[in-house]
Amino acid sequence: MAKKIQITNNIRKFRFFANEMTQQQLAEKAGVSRQTIMAIEAGKYSPSLELAFRIADAFGVKIGEVFDYQVKED
Amino acid sequence: MSYKEKKTIVSLVTGLLILATYCIYTLNKIQLGTAALDDLKFWATTILIFIGIGVVALIIILIVFHILLSVTIAVKEEIQNGEYDDKKIAKTLELDMVEDEMDKLIGLKAMRISLAVVGIGFIAALVSLVLNYSPAVMLNILFFSFGIGSMIEGFTQLYFYRRGVRNG
Repeated sequence: MAKKIQITNNIRKFRFFANEMTQQQLAEKAGVSRQTIMAIEAGKYSPSLELAFRIADAFGVKIGEVFDYQVKED
Repeated sequence: MSYKEKKTIVSLVTGLLILATYCIYTLNKIQLGTAALDDLKFWATTILIFIGIGVVALIIILIVFHILLSVTIAVKEEIQNGEYDDKKIAKTLELDMVEDEMDKLIGLKAMRISLAVVGIGFIAALVSLVLNYSPAVMLNILFFSFGIGSMIEGFTQLYFYRRGVRNG
């Protein structure tokens, strides 16, 4: 059986380094609502690959720098 | 609380009020003796009227909700900055109203649960006929299963907006 993975992100860190970009500004750039950005940042929602690319693009970095994963042991 | 959560709560309260009004209206009619349990025409007419009332009420209440929301945003802006900009308010609302992939996923998950409730209601309606209850009972079970299913859909949406949602 495939092991469970948990997707983690560095969105808060990248927002800080992007001159304290607000969640609303990031939401506008990624084309989603602020609530979705909040949920992703808090680890409550795993974005689609397309949205993950758009978020990484908003920071001008590669997707792997923004999103990572951890294998969860049962 | 986000725009979508507020909108879901408004829809939920509207649905609850419509169902409550239906119960009060029909119980009154039965108590007064102006409606009989086997008068299928009465029940079909009443249910159709209440479906119409529900749709119109929801549209009107959502329009009022959007007006009140705009006013609230304007008042907040005025308190914070001493002035407000109509275009800014329209943009804030427009951004809040964006339906993205998370909303679609939550909507689909909530609808699946709602459909399960409606399915159970349909089976219960058929069982009521098998048990020799009046067809009016069957109609009411169907009507309530749609109403309750819609409300459970709203509660599920609120739950997922609060607790988060996972793909798969």
